[in-house]
Amino acid sequence: MAKEWQTFVRKFEDMKEGEVELFIKDLTPGPRKYDTKHVRAKVARRKEDLPEGDILWIRSESGLRFSEPWYIKILEELPPWVPGRPWEDLFEVMEKTKRE
Amino acid sequence: MAFRDHREFLEVLEREGELVRVTQEVDWDLEVGAIGRRVYEREGPCLLFEKIKDYPEGFRISNGTLGTWSRVALALGLRKDASVREIYQVYEERIDRRIAPRIVKKEEAPCKENIMIGDEVDLFKFPSPMIHEGDGGRYIGTWDIVICKDPETGWINWGMYRFMVHTKEWLTGWPQTTSHLAMIFNERYLPKNQPMPIAIVIGSDPLSHLIATAPLKPQESEVEYAGGVRGEPVELVPCETVDLLVPAHAEIVIEGEMMPDKIAMEGPFGEYPGYRSGTMCRGVAVKVKAITYRNNPILTMISLGIPPDDSSIAASLTAAVAMKKGLLRRGVPVTDVYVPPEGVTHLVIVGVKKGGTEVARKVLEYFTARRVMTNKHIVVDEDVDVFNMAEVLHAFATKCHPGRGILYEWYEGRANSLTPFYSPEERKRLKGVSVVFDSTWPPEWSQDIVPIKASFKTIYPPEIQEKVLKNWEKYGLK
Repeated sequence: MAKEWQTFVRKFEDMKEGEVELFIKDLTPGPRKYDTKHVRAKVARRKEDLPEGDILWIRSESGLRFSEPWYIKILEELPPWVPGRPWEDLFEVMEKTKRE
Repeated sequence: MAFRDHREFLEVLEREGELVRVTQEVDWDLEVGAIGRRVYEREGPCLLFEKIKDYPEGFRISNGTLGTWSRVALALGLRKDASVREIYQVYEERIDRRIAPRIVKKEEAPCKENIMIGDEVDLFKFPSPMIHEGDGGRYIGTWDIVICKDPETGWINWGMYRFMVHTKEWLTGWPQTTSHLAMIFNERYLPKNQPMPIAIVIGSDPLSHLIATAPLKPQESEVEYAGGVRGEPVELVPCETVDLLVPAHAEIVIEGEMMPDKIAMEGPFGEYPGYRSGTMCRGVAVKVKAITYRNNPILTMISLGIPPDDSSIAASLTAAVAMKKGLLRRGVPVTDVYVPPEGVTHLVIVGVKKGGTEVARKVLEYFTARRVMTNKHIVVDEDVDVFNMAEVLHAFATKCHPGRGILYEWYEGRANSLTPFYSPEERKRLKGVSVVFDSTWPPEWSQDIVPIKASFKTIYPPEIQEKVLKNWEKYGLK
Protein backbone atom coordinates (compact mmCIF):
# COMPACT_ATOMS: atom_id res chain seq x y z
CA MET A 1 0.00 0.00 0.00
CA ALA A 2 1.30 3.45 -0.89
CA LYS A 3 2.58 5.58 1.92
CA GLU A 4 0.53 8.71 2.63
CA TRP A 5 1.73 12.22 3.34
CA GLN A 6 0.06 15.56 3.93
CA THR A 7 1.09 19.13 3.22
CA PHE A 8 -0.42 22.57 3.66
CA VAL A 9 -0.68 25.49 1.23
CA ARG A 10 -2.37 28.84 1.67
CA LYS A 11 -4.71 28.18 -1.26
CA PHE A 12 -5.11 25.02 -3.29
CA GLU A 13 -4.07 26.93 -6.42
CA ASP A 14 -0.64 27.54 -4.82
CA MET A 15 0.25 23.86 -5.27
CA LYS A 16 2.34 23.41 -8.42
CA GLU A 17 3.39 20.26 -10.23
CA GLY A 18 7.05 19.42 -10.74
CA GLU A 19 10.04 19.66 -8.44
CA VAL A 20 9.24 21.51 -5.23
CA GLU A 21 10.43 22.07 -1.68
CA LEU A 22 7.83 21.06 0.88
CA PHE A 23 7.18 20.31 4.52
CA ILE A 24 5.23 17.06 4.65
CA LYS A 25 3.57 15.15 7.47
CA ASP A 26 3.84 11.38 7.65
CA LEU A 27 0.35 9.86 7.92
CA THR A 28 1.53 6.34 8.77
CA PRO A 29 -0.57 5.19 11.75
CA GLY A 30 1.22 4.78 15.08
CA PRO A 31 2.86 6.95 17.73
CA ARG A 32 4.98 8.83 15.17
CA LYS A 33 2.08 9.81 12.94
CA TYR A 34 2.30 13.45 11.80
CA ASP A 35 6.11 13.58 12.12
CA THR A 36 7.37 16.23 9.72
CA LYS A 37 9.90 16.03 6.94
CA HIS A 38 11.28 18.91 4.95
CA VAL A 39 11.99 17.60 1.47
CA ARG A 40 12.78 18.35 -2.10
CA ALA A 41 10.32 16.27 -4.03
CA LYS A 42 8.60 15.74 -7.32
CA VAL A 43 4.84 16.13 -7.14
CA ALA A 44 2.12 15.40 -9.65
CA ARG A 45 -1.60 15.75 -9.74
CA ARG A 46 -2.22 12.47 -11.53
CA LYS A 47 -0.86 9.07 -10.52
CA GLU A 48 0.00 8.31 -14.16
CA ASP A 49 2.52 11.14 -14.06
CA LEU A 50 4.26 9.74 -10.97
CA PRO A 51 3.45 6.02 -10.89
CA GLU A 52 6.06 5.21 -8.27
CA GLY A 53 4.92 8.09 -6.03
CA ASP A 54 3.36 8.08 -2.58
CA ILE A 55 -0.02 9.68 -1.91
CA LEU A 56 0.05 13.36 -0.95
CA TRP A 57 -2.99 15.02 0.59
CA ILE A 58 -3.18 18.77 0.36
CA ARG A 59 -4.85 21.05 2.86
CA SER A 60 -5.47 24.79 2.68
CA GLU A 61 -4.63 27.29 5.41
CA SER A 62 -8.06 26.72 6.95
CA GLY A 63 -7.28 22.99 7.13
CA LEU A 64 -9.73 22.07 4.37
CA ARG A 65 -8.55 18.96 2.50
CA PHE A 66 -8.49 18.96 -1.30
CA SER A 67 -10.92 16.36 -2.54
CA GLU A 68 -8.42 14.33 -4.57
CA PRO A 69 -4.92 13.27 -3.55
CA TRP A 70 -1.76 14.30 -5.38
CA TYR A 71 1.34 12.12 -5.68
CA ILE A 72 4.84 12.67 -4.36
CA LYS A 73 8.30 11.20 -4.80
CA ILE A 74 10.85 12.38 -2.26
CA LEU A 75 14.14 13.28 -3.93
CA GLU A 76 16.06 14.60 -0.95
CA GLU A 77 15.50 15.06 2.74
CA LEU A 78 16.47 18.51 4.05
CA PRO A 79 16.95 19.87 7.61
CA PRO A 80 13.61 20.23 9.42
CA TRP A 81 13.64 24.03 9.10
CA VAL A 82 14.45 26.79 6.63
CA PRO A 83 16.58 29.86 7.35
CA GLY A 84 14.29 32.68 8.39
CA ARG A 85 13.30 35.01 11.18
CA PRO A 86 10.56 34.14 13.62
CA TRP A 87 7.07 35.15 12.40
CA GLU A 88 8.23 35.48 8.80
CA ASP A 89 5.88 33.93 6.26
CA LEU A 90 7.35 30.48 5.63
CA PHE A 91 5.97 30.25 2.10
CA GLU A 92 7.33 33.67 1.13
CA VAL A 93 10.75 32.76 2.54
CA MET A 94 10.81 29.48 0.62
CA GLU A 95 9.68 31.21 -2.57
CA LYS A 96 12.35 33.89 -2.15
CA THR A 97 15.04 31.25 -1.56
CA LYS A 98 13.92 29.42 -4.69
CA ARG A 99 14.20 32.58 -6.82
CA GLU A 100 17.71 33.25 -5.50
CA MET B 1 -4.84 26.35 50.96
CA ALA B 2 -3.64 26.32 47.39
CA PHE B 3 -3.54 23.27 45.21
CA ARG B 4 0.02 22.04 44.95
CA ASP B 5 -0.37 20.50 41.54
CA HIS B 6 -2.66 19.32 38.78
CA ARG B 7 -3.23 15.94 40.43
CA GLU B 8 -4.34 17.38 43.75
CA PHE B 9 -6.88 19.55 41.93
CA LEU B 10 -8.15 16.57 39.93
CA GLU B 11 -8.80 14.74 43.22
CA VAL B 12 -10.96 17.63 44.41
CA LEU B 13 -12.77 17.76 41.08
CA GLU B 14 -13.50 14.06 41.40
CA ARG B 15 -14.88 14.47 44.93
CA GLU B 16 -17.07 17.33 43.72
CA GLY B 17 -18.44 15.32 40.79
CA GLU B 18 -16.54 17.49 38.32
CA LEU B 19 -14.23 14.82 36.89
CA VAL B 20 -14.82 11.73 34.79
CA ARG B 21 -12.05 9.16 34.37
CA VAL B 22 -12.22 7.60 30.91
CA THR B 23 -10.75 4.12 31.38
CA GLN B 24 -11.66 2.78 27.95
CA GLU B 25 -8.79 3.06 25.47
CA VAL B 26 -9.05 6.20 23.36
CA ASP B 27 -7.09 7.34 20.34
CA TRP B 28 -4.90 10.44 20.70
CA ASP B 29 -5.59 10.98 16.99
CA LEU B 30 -8.86 13.00 16.98
CA GLU B 31 -10.87 10.83 19.39
CA VAL B 32 -9.77 12.57 22.61
CA GLY B 33 -10.25 15.94 20.91
CA ALA B 34 -13.74 15.04 19.74
CA ILE B 35 -14.78 13.74 23.17
CA GLY B 36 -13.36 16.84 24.85
CA ARG B 37 -15.10 19.15 22.41
CA ARG B 38 -18.49 17.51 22.84
CA VAL B 39 -18.14 17.62 26.61
CA TYR B 40 -17.34 21.36 26.47
CA GLU B 41 -20.39 21.96 24.32
CA ARG B 42 -22.52 20.23 26.97
CA GLU B 43 -20.72 22.11 29.77
CA GLY B 44 -19.67 18.73 31.11
CA PRO B 45 -16.91 17.58 33.45
CA CYS B 46 -13.15 17.68 33.33
CA LEU B 47 -11.89 14.50 31.67
CA LEU B 48 -8.96 12.27 32.52
CA PHE B 49 -8.16 9.83 29.72
CA GLU B 50 -6.30 6.99 31.38
CA LYS B 51 -5.56 4.63 28.48
CA ILE B 52 -4.19 6.12 25.29
CA LYS B 53 -3.73 4.12 22.10
CA ASP B 54 -0.09 3.59 21.07
CA TYR B 55 1.20 4.69 24.49
CA PRO B 56 2.27 2.85 27.64
CA GLU B 57 0.00 2.58 30.63
CA GLY B 58 0.31 5.63 32.85
CA PHE B 59 0.65 8.22 30.07
CA ARG B 60 -2.55 10.20 30.39
CA ILE B 61 -4.36 13.22 28.94
CA SER B 62 -6.70 15.60 30.77
CA ASN B 63 -9.13 18.04 29.19
CA GLY B 64 -11.08 20.93 30.65
CA THR B 65 -9.35 21.64 33.97
CA LEU B 66 -11.01 25.07 34.26
CA GLY B 67 -13.64 24.66 31.55
CA THR B 68 -16.58 25.83 33.68
CA TRP B 69 -17.15 28.54 36.28
CA SER B 70 -17.70 25.81 38.89
CA ARG B 71 -14.19 24.52 38.37
CA VAL B 72 -12.71 28.03 38.46
CA ALA B 73 -14.55 28.57 41.75
CA LEU B 74 -13.10 25.35 43.18
CA ALA B 75 -9.61 26.30 42.00
CA LEU B 76 -9.98 29.56 43.96
CA GLY B 77 -11.16 27.64 47.02
CA LEU B 78 -14.77 28.83 46.70
CA ARG B 79 -18.03 26.88 46.64
CA LYS B 80 -18.59 25.32 43.26
CA ASP B 81 -21.89 27.23 42.92
CA ALA B 82 -20.28 30.64 43.53
CA SER B 83 -21.66 33.25 41.13
CA VAL B 84 -19.54 34.70 38.34
CA ARG B 85 -19.67 38.05 40.15
CA GLU B 86 -18.28 36.42 43.33
CA ILE B 87 -15.52 34.71 41.35
CA TYR B 88 -14.59 38.04 39.74
CA GLN B 89 -14.59 39.79 43.12
CA VAL B 90 -12.34 37.22 44.79
CA TYR B 91 -9.91 37.20 41.87
CA GLU B 92 -9.87 41.01 41.76
CA GLU B 93 -9.01 41.16 45.48
CA ARG B 94 -6.25 38.57 45.22
CA ILE B 95 -4.63 39.80 42.00
CA ASP B 96 -3.31 42.85 43.84
CA ARG B 97 -1.21 40.65 46.11
CA ARG B 98 2.16 39.38 45.03
CA ILE B 99 3.95 36.48 46.64
CA ALA B 100 7.46 35.64 45.47
CA PRO B 101 8.05 32.06 44.39
CA ARG B 102 9.99 29.58 46.49
CA ILE B 103 12.90 27.75 44.92
CA VAL B 104 13.11 24.07 45.78
CA LYS B 105 15.80 21.47 45.29
CA LYS B 106 15.72 19.10 42.37
CA GLU B 107 15.05 16.20 44.79
CA GLU B 108 11.84 17.94 45.90
CA ALA B 109 10.60 18.47 42.36
CA PRO B 110 8.37 15.71 40.96
CA CYS B 111 8.84 17.13 37.47
CA LYS B 112 12.40 15.73 37.61
CA GLU B 113 11.32 12.11 38.13
CA ASN B 114 12.24 11.40 34.52
CA ILE B 115 14.72 13.32 32.39
CA MET B 116 15.50 13.16 28.68
CA ILE B 117 18.44 15.26 27.56
CA GLY B 118 20.07 15.91 24.19
CA ASP B 119 19.88 12.94 21.85
CA GLU B 120 17.42 11.19 24.16
CA VAL B 121 14.80 13.85 23.50
CA ASP B 122 11.80 12.39 21.71
CA LEU B 123 8.55 14.36 21.72
CA PHE B 124 6.72 11.35 20.28
CA LYS B 125 7.15 9.58 23.63
CA PHE B 126 4.18 11.69 24.80
CA PRO B 127 0.60 11.23 23.60
CA SER B 128 0.28 14.72 22.14
CA PRO B 129 -3.22 14.85 20.73
CA MET B 130 -4.28 15.59 17.19
CA ILE B 131 -7.10 17.76 18.46
CA HIS B 132 -9.11 18.71 15.39
CA GLU B 133 -9.32 17.13 11.96
CA GLY B 134 -7.32 19.37 9.66
CA ASP B 135 -5.00 20.89 12.25
CA GLY B 136 -1.40 21.31 11.16
CA GLY B 137 -0.17 18.72 13.63
CA ARG B 138 -0.23 17.39 17.16
CA TYR B 139 -0.46 20.17 19.72
CA ILE B 140 1.42 19.32 22.92
CA GLY B 141 1.01 22.89 24.16
CA THR B 142 -2.54 24.15 24.52
CA TRP B 143 -3.22 24.48 28.28
CA ASP B 144 0.42 25.30 28.98
CA ILE B 145 2.65 27.92 30.58
CA VAL B 146 5.39 29.22 28.32
CA ILE B 147 8.26 30.79 30.26
CA CYS B 148 10.98 33.12 29.03
CA LYS B 149 13.15 35.78 30.62
CA ASP B 150 14.38 39.25 29.85
CA PRO B 151 18.13 38.83 30.42
CA GLU B 152 18.66 42.53 31.11
CA THR B 153 15.93 43.22 33.65
CA GLY B 154 15.32 39.71 34.96
CA TRP B 155 11.63 39.93 34.09
CA ILE B 156 10.23 36.42 33.89
CA ASN B 157 7.28 36.21 31.57
CA TRP B 158 4.61 33.52 31.63
CA GLY B 159 2.16 33.23 28.77
CA MET B 160 -0.10 30.65 27.23
CA TYR B 161 0.73 29.96 23.59
CA ARG B 162 0.12 27.04 21.27
CA PHE B 163 3.00 24.65 20.46
CA MET B 164 2.96 21.82 17.96
CA VAL B 165 5.18 18.77 17.64
CA HIS B 166 7.19 19.31 14.48
CA THR B 167 9.70 16.44 14.73
CA LYS B 168 11.00 14.36 17.64
CA GLU B 169 13.18 17.25 18.79
CA TRP B 170 11.63 20.36 17.26
CA LEU B 171 8.51 22.26 18.20
CA THR B 172 6.86 25.02 16.27
CA GLY B 173 4.58 27.51 17.92
CA TRP B 174 2.59 30.65 17.51
CA PRO B 175 2.94 33.20 20.27
CA GLN B 176 1.34 36.28 18.71
CA THR B 177 3.70 38.96 17.40
CA THR B 178 2.09 41.35 19.90
CA SER B 179 2.79 39.05 22.88
CA HIS B 180 5.24 39.77 25.68
CA LEU B 181 7.26 36.77 24.57
CA ALA B 182 7.67 38.40 21.16
CA MET B 183 8.57 41.70 22.83
CA ILE B 184 11.37 40.09 24.86
CA PHE B 185 12.64 38.09 21.91
CA ASN B 186 12.62 41.02 19.48
CA GLU B 187 14.28 43.43 21.92
CA ARG B 188 16.84 41.20 23.60
CA TYR B 189 17.67 38.18 21.47
CA LEU B 190 16.97 38.91 17.81
CA PRO B 191 19.34 41.91 17.57
CA LYS B 192 22.16 39.64 18.77
CA ASN B 193 20.96 36.74 16.62
CA GLN B 194 20.83 34.65 19.81
CA PRO B 195 18.42 31.82 20.57
CA MET B 196 16.06 32.54 23.47
CA PRO B 197 15.81 29.97 26.28
CA ILE B 198 12.24 28.86 26.71
CA ALA B 199 10.35 26.36 28.86
CA ILE B 200 6.94 24.96 28.03
CA VAL B 201 5.23 23.73 31.17
CA ILE B 202 2.37 21.28 30.94
CA GLY B 203 0.14 20.37 33.87
CA SER B 204 0.94 22.78 36.67
CA ASP B 205 -1.46 23.80 39.45
CA PRO B 206 -4.69 25.30 38.07
CA LEU B 207 -4.16 28.90 39.17
CA SER B 208 -0.70 29.10 37.63
CA HIS B 209 -2.26 28.24 34.27
CA LEU B 210 -5.03 30.76 34.90
CA ILE B 211 -2.48 33.51 35.55
CA ALA B 212 -0.59 32.58 32.39
CA THR B 213 -3.66 33.87 30.50
CA ALA B 214 -3.69 37.19 32.37
CA PRO B 215 -2.78 40.29 30.37
CA LEU B 216 -0.35 41.82 32.86
CA LYS B 217 1.91 44.75 32.06
CA PRO B 218 5.46 44.34 30.74
CA GLN B 219 8.03 43.71 33.49
CA GLU B 220 5.38 42.18 35.74
CA SER B 221 6.22 38.56 36.54
CA GLU B 222 3.17 36.34 36.44
CA VAL B 223 4.66 33.86 38.91
CA GLU B 224 4.38 36.44 41.72
CA TYR B 225 0.74 37.11 40.82
CA ALA B 226 0.11 33.36 40.71
CA GLY B 227 1.48 33.20 44.25
CA GLY B 228 -0.84 36.04 45.26
CA VAL B 229 -3.95 34.46 43.79
CA ARG B 230 -2.99 31.08 45.26
CA GLY B 231 -2.20 32.63 48.65
CA GLU B 232 1.03 30.63 48.70
CA PRO B 233 4.27 30.82 46.75
CA VAL B 234 4.60 28.78 43.60
CA GLU B 235 7.42 26.28 44.05
CA LEU B 236 9.96 26.52 41.28
CA VAL B 237 12.97 24.46 40.30
CA PRO B 238 15.81 25.26 37.89
CA CYS B 239 15.71 23.74 34.41
CA GLU B 240 18.34 21.22 33.35
CA THR B 241 19.62 22.91 30.23
CA VAL B 242 18.38 26.51 30.19
CA ASP B 243 18.56 29.33 32.74
CA LEU B 244 14.89 29.33 33.70
CA LEU B 245 12.82 28.31 36.70
CA VAL B 246 9.73 26.15 36.23
CA PRO B 247 6.91 24.92 38.51
CA ALA B 248 8.39 21.99 40.43
CA HIS B 249 5.15 20.03 40.51
CA ALA B 250 4.41 20.26 36.79
CA GLU B 251 3.59 17.12 34.87
CA ILE B 252 5.88 17.77 31.89
CA VAL B 253 8.49 20.47 31.23
CA ILE B 254 9.97 20.98 27.79
CA GLU B 255 13.20 22.97 27.77
CA GLY B 256 14.47 24.48 24.56
CA GLU B 257 15.68 27.43 22.57
CA MET B 258 13.61 29.59 20.28
CA MET B 259 15.68 30.12 17.17
CA PRO B 260 16.43 33.58 15.76
CA ASP B 261 17.31 32.27 12.30
CA LYS B 262 15.15 29.20 11.66
CA ILE B 263 11.48 28.72 10.91
CA ALA B 264 9.29 25.79 9.98
CA MET B 265 5.73 24.77 9.35
CA GLU B 266 3.23 25.62 12.09
CA GLY B 267 -0.54 25.46 12.18
CA PRO B 268 -3.25 25.88 11.25
CA PHE B 269 -5.10 25.21 14.48
CA GLY B 270 -8.71 25.48 15.64
CA GLU B 271 -8.28 28.46 17.93
CA TYR B 272 -10.05 30.12 20.83
CA PRO B 273 -12.39 32.37 18.81
CA GLY B 274 -14.04 29.12 17.70
CA TYR B 275 -12.60 28.86 14.18
CA ARG B 276 -9.55 27.64 12.34
CA SER B 277 -8.96 30.79 10.39
CA GLY B 278 -5.67 30.63 8.56
CA THR B 279 -3.02 31.59 11.09
CA MET B 280 -0.40 29.28 9.66
CA CYS B 281 3.31 29.20 8.87
CA ARG B 282 4.08 32.54 10.52
CA GLY B 283 5.37 31.14 13.80
CA VAL B 284 8.52 30.28 15.65
CA ALA B 285 10.75 27.19 15.86
CA VAL B 286 12.06 25.73 19.11
CA LYS B 287 14.89 23.20 19.34
CA VAL B 288 14.15 21.03 22.35
CA LYS B 289 17.13 20.40 24.62
CA ALA B 290 15.49 18.43 27.40
CA ILE B 291 12.18 17.07 28.62
CA THR B 292 11.55 16.36 32.28
CA TYR B 293 8.37 14.70 33.50
CA ARG B 294 6.63 13.02 36.36
CA ASN B 295 5.96 9.32 36.57
CA ASN B 296 2.64 8.59 34.84
CA PRO B 297 2.50 12.09 33.33
CA ILE B 298 -0.75 13.85 32.54
CA LEU B 299 -0.70 15.95 29.38
CA THR B 300 -3.13 18.84 29.81
CA MET B 301 -5.20 19.53 26.71
CA ILE B 302 -7.92 21.96 25.76
CA SER B 303 -9.94 20.92 22.76
CA LEU B 304 -10.36 24.55 21.78
CA GLY B 305 -13.33 25.77 19.82
CA ILE B 306 -16.63 27.47 20.29
CA PRO B 307 -17.21 28.56 23.90
CA PRO B 308 -17.25 27.65 26.65
CA ASP B 309 -13.90 26.03 27.23
CA ASP B 310 -10.91 26.69 29.48
CA SER B 311 -9.66 29.47 27.27
CA SER B 312 -12.88 31.46 27.05
CA ILE B 313 -13.61 31.01 30.76
CA ALA B 314 -10.08 31.85 31.96
CA ALA B 315 -9.78 34.86 29.68
CA SER B 316 -13.22 36.05 30.73
CA LEU B 317 -11.91 36.39 34.26
CA THR B 318 -8.29 37.46 33.86
CA ALA B 319 -8.86 39.82 30.93
CA ALA B 320 -11.91 41.51 32.45
CA VAL B 321 -10.23 42.31 35.76
CA ALA B 322 -7.13 43.64 33.97
CA MET B 323 -9.37 45.79 31.75
CA LYS B 324 -11.24 47.19 34.73
CA LYS B 325 -7.99 48.24 36.37
CA GLY B 326 -6.69 49.71 33.12
CA LEU B 327 -9.87 51.70 32.49
CA LEU B 328 -9.85 53.06 36.05
CA ARG B 329 -6.24 54.17 35.54
CA ARG B 330 -7.41 56.08 32.46
CA GLY B 331 -10.04 57.87 34.48
CA VAL B 332 -13.05 55.98 33.16
CA PRO B 333 -15.68 55.78 35.94
CA VAL B 334 -16.00 52.01 35.69
CA THR B 335 -18.26 50.01 37.95
CA ASP B 336 -17.63 46.56 36.45
CA VAL B 337 -16.24 44.92 33.34
CA TYR B 338 -17.47 41.58 32.06
CA VAL B 339 -16.00 39.56 29.22
CA PRO B 340 -18.73 37.03 28.42
CA PRO B 341 -17.16 33.67 27.52
CA GLU B 342 -19.54 33.45 24.57
CA GLY B 343 -17.84 36.54 23.15
CA VAL B 344 -14.37 34.86 23.21
CA THR B 345 -12.59 38.08 24.26
CA HIS B 346 -13.95 39.84 21.17
CA LEU B 347 -16.85 41.34 23.12
CA VAL B 348 -16.53 43.32 26.34
CA ILE B 349 -19.22 44.82 28.56
CA VAL B 350 -18.20 47.94 30.48
CA GLY B 351 -20.42 49.33 33.23
CA VAL B 352 -19.91 53.00 34.09
CA LYS B 353 -21.21 55.40 36.73
CA LYS B 354 -21.65 58.07 34.12
CA GLY B 355 -21.71 57.49 30.37
CA GLY B 356 -21.89 59.59 27.24
CA THR B 357 -19.69 60.16 24.21
CA GLU B 358 -16.69 61.46 26.13
CA VAL B 359 -16.55 58.36 28.32
CA ALA B 360 -17.21 56.08 25.36
CA ARG B 361 -14.28 57.67 23.51
CA LYS B 362 -11.99 57.10 26.52
CA VAL B 363 -13.06 53.47 26.54
CA LEU B 364 -12.23 53.16 22.84
CA GLU B 365 -8.85 54.83 23.36
CA TYR B 366 -7.98 52.41 26.13
CA PHE B 367 -8.89 49.35 24.10
CA THR B 368 -6.97 50.44 21.00
CA ALA B 369 -3.85 51.90 22.64
CA ARG B 370 -1.52 48.93 22.15
CA ARG B 371 -2.02 45.27 21.21
CA VAL B 372 -5.72 44.97 20.51
CA MET B 373 -7.31 41.68 21.46
CA THR B 374 -10.93 42.88 21.62
CA ASN B 375 -13.09 44.61 19.04
CA LYS B 376 -16.65 45.17 20.31
CA HIS B 377 -17.37 47.02 23.53
CA ILE B 378 -20.78 47.76 24.97
CA VAL B 379 -20.81 50.56 27.54
CA VAL B 380 -23.78 50.49 29.90
CA ASP B 381 -25.00 52.55 32.82
CA GLU B 382 -24.49 51.29 36.36
CA ASP B 383 -28.11 50.19 36.74
CA VAL B 384 -27.38 47.41 34.25
CA ASP B 385 -25.88 44.22 35.68
CA VAL B 386 -22.96 43.62 33.32
CA PHE B 387 -23.00 39.91 34.20
CA ASN B 388 -26.61 39.60 33.04
CA MET B 389 -26.50 39.47 29.26
CA ALA B 390 -30.29 39.82 29.01
CA GLU B 391 -30.03 43.21 30.73
CA VAL B 392 -27.01 44.15 28.60
CA LEU B 393 -28.80 43.29 25.37
CA HIS B 394 -31.85 45.25 26.46
CA ALA B 395 -29.70 48.30 27.17
CA PHE B 396 -27.84 47.91 23.86
CA ALA B 397 -31.07 47.57 21.90
CA THR B 398 -32.81 50.50 23.56
CA LYS B 399 -30.10 52.98 24.49
CA CYS B 400 -27.43 52.76 21.79
CA HIS B 401 -28.14 55.46 19.19
CA PRO B 402 -27.18 54.04 15.77
CA GLY B 403 -26.07 57.48 14.61
CA ARG B 404 -24.45 59.04 17.67
CA GLY B 405 -23.73 56.08 19.88
CA ILE B 406 -21.33 54.07 17.73
CA LEU B 407 -17.67 55.06 17.83
CA TYR B 408 -14.98 53.15 16.01
CA GLU B 409 -11.31 53.34 15.17
CA TRP B 410 -9.06 51.63 12.62
CA TYR B 411 -5.43 50.73 13.38
CA GLU B 412 -2.62 48.73 11.86
CA GLY B 413 0.17 46.57 13.27
CA ARG B 414 -1.55 45.64 16.53
CA ALA B 415 -4.80 43.87 15.71
CA ASN B 416 -5.58 40.32 16.76
CA SER B 417 -4.99 38.23 13.66
CA LEU B 418 -7.18 35.44 15.06
CA THR B 419 -10.25 37.63 14.56
CA PRO B 420 -12.31 35.55 12.14
CA PHE B 421 -13.94 38.42 10.23
CA TYR B 422 -10.66 40.04 9.19
CA SER B 423 -9.60 39.35 5.62
CA PRO B 424 -6.35 37.44 4.99
CA GLU B 425 -4.69 40.75 4.08
CA GLU B 426 -5.91 42.43 7.28
CA ARG B 427 -4.66 39.50 9.35
CA LYS B 428 -1.27 39.66 7.72
CA ARG B 429 -0.94 43.40 8.35
CA LEU B 430 -2.56 43.18 11.78
CA LYS B 431 -5.01 45.76 10.55
CA GLY B 432 -8.17 46.01 12.54
CA VAL B 433 -11.03 48.08 13.79
CA SER B 434 -12.66 48.39 17.18
CA VAL B 435 -16.06 49.77 18.06
CA VAL B 436 -17.76 51.07 21.17
CA PHE B 437 -21.52 50.90 21.45
CA ASP B 438 -22.46 53.65 23.85
CA SER B 439 -25.55 52.22 25.51
CA THR B 440 -25.80 54.88 28.20
CA TRP B 441 -28.06 57.90 28.53
CA PRO B 442 -26.39 61.12 27.38
CA PRO B 443 -25.16 62.90 30.54
CA GLU B 444 -26.36 66.22 29.13
CA TRP B 445 -29.98 65.06 29.30
CA SER B 446 -31.72 66.54 32.30
CA GLN B 447 -33.27 64.04 34.67
CA ASP B 448 -36.82 65.01 33.73
CA ILE B 449 -36.39 63.77 30.15
CA VAL B 450 -34.48 60.55 30.82
CA PRO B 451 -36.80 57.62 30.06
CA ILE B 452 -37.72 55.63 33.13
CA LYS B 453 -36.98 51.94 32.92
CA ALA B 454 -40.17 49.95 33.33
CA SER B 455 -38.87 47.25 35.63
CA PHE B 456 -40.25 46.15 38.98
CA LYS B 457 -37.38 47.80 40.80
CA THR B 458 -37.48 51.08 38.92
CA ILE B 459 -41.08 52.01 38.02
CA TYR B 460 -42.90 51.25 41.28
CA PRO B 461 -42.62 53.17 44.53
CA PRO B 462 -40.77 51.39 47.38
CA GLU B 463 -43.91 50.89 49.44
CA ILE B 464 -45.63 49.05 46.58
CA GLN B 465 -42.56 46.90 45.97
CA GLU B 466 -42.45 46.08 49.68
CA LYS B 467 -46.15 45.22 49.79
CA VAL B 468 -45.91 42.99 46.72
CA LEU B 469 -42.87 41.15 48.05
CA LYS B 470 -44.48 40.70 51.45
CA ASN B 471 -47.64 39.24 49.97
CA TRP B 472 -46.02 37.28 47.18
CA GLU B 473 -46.86 33.84 48.48
CA LYS B 474 -50.34 34.96 49.51
CA TYR B 475 -50.98 35.71 45.84
CA GLY B 476 -50.37 32.00 45.24
CA LEU B 477 -46.97 32.71 43.66
CA LYS B 478 -43.63 31.12 44.42
